[in-house]
Amino acid sequence: MINRIATFGIAGILGVGVGVYSALAMSGLLPGDRRIGDGIEINGWVGDLRQGSVDASPYLRARIARHGLLAMAKSEAIYFIRSRDGAGEHLTENCDYKISGGALPAGWWSITLYNSENFLPDNRDEALSFNSNQSSGDAWTAIISPTQPDDGAHWISSRNAGKFDLTLRLYMPEPDTLARPEQLIAAPNVERLTCKEQGS
Amino acid sequence: MKKAFAPLLFASALAVISHLAVIYAAPGVIMDRAMSMLSNRGIALHGFTLGERTTPQTQTVVRPSPDLAYSACLFDFEQAPAGLRVKMASTENYASLSFFDASTNNFQTIRGDGSGVDVRLLPPKMAATQPNEIGSPSNTGIILIRRLAPTEADYERVAETAKGDKCSPI
Repeated sequence: MINRIATFGIAGILGVGVGVYSALAMSGLLPGDRRIGDGIEINGWVGDLRQGSVDASPYLRARIARHGLLAMAKSEAIYFIRSRDGAGEHLTENCDYKISGGALPAGWWSITLYNSENFLPDNRDEALSFNSNQSSGDAWTAIISPTQPDDGAHWISSRNAGKFDLTLRLYMPEPDTLARPEQLIAAPNVERLTCKEQGS
Repeated sequence: MKKAFAPLLFASALAVISHLAVIYAAPGVIMDRAMSMLSNRGIALHGFTLGERTTPQTQTVVRPSPDLAYSACLFDFEQAPAGLRVKMASTENYASLSFFDASTNNFQTIRGDGSGVDVRLLPPKMAATQPNEIGSPSNTGIILIRRLAPTEADYERVAETAKGDKCSPI
């Protein structure tokens, strides 16, 4: 009888463990998982147009609550996250990057850098993002680096960011964009330039 | 083999139940924590509070935009049973008024479009019958105004404008 109770006890603990772990994993609540959603991937930028919506699945809702609380519905803003460079390596403050793109189909847009805790990196560089007000014309380029470029290029500071990611926000997206995002959003490229030597 | 069937079934049932419990409870728990945290940081219940200019040193929620100025109002219909009057003062630049329920759903967003917005937010038990009325799916939640303010000067202008915002019980 005692063996039987112990067997059920162990089974119960394992069951709850599996259930909780799988829920945390599937809803992006485990450390290190920073995807907002799985709906769309455009040039390495991942987003989900259901965020903020009552149509969102419980998994996406949990993911948004953890990584993008108070995100707006798609009619007002759409969000994408990119955590890797063009070569597939994780973005890190140990490297400099060139981010470049063209016009985006929105009333206003911005690209902001966040650390692994989903917060702005702890620096006072006043260079946390690049936005459409700064892009003159259709083609634009900015440098992501822990130090300000000498040549006066647009700069997004990665100082104290560690491993980081980028959020692309498109506010007031054009209606066609919501219907055909993969075709109409020319998501920016992120190219690694140089990396610091790692200390021994 | 037969002896193992019952414990396996028991484990599977608990796995499904605990999985669903976590998934469905997570947004509410996270929102509840966020509301407590905002309250602790001085965000008013039934009144808009303009946050400090968003910087690494002032950020309070995950992934804030440093290009926007945020004004937040917490609501609780237990303390405003007839609803709330919510007013967003007009600005020239982009502005939006968005409503979030206790499960993090953005159940309504109104764009400023250069003009002000004046609406009534009603508790779940009251039906919205007028164009300027919005029904809330939950008794608690957050109302957020976002205004474009990429520079310090923009933020100062928003700070003046935000004095005209209202979030008060009817």
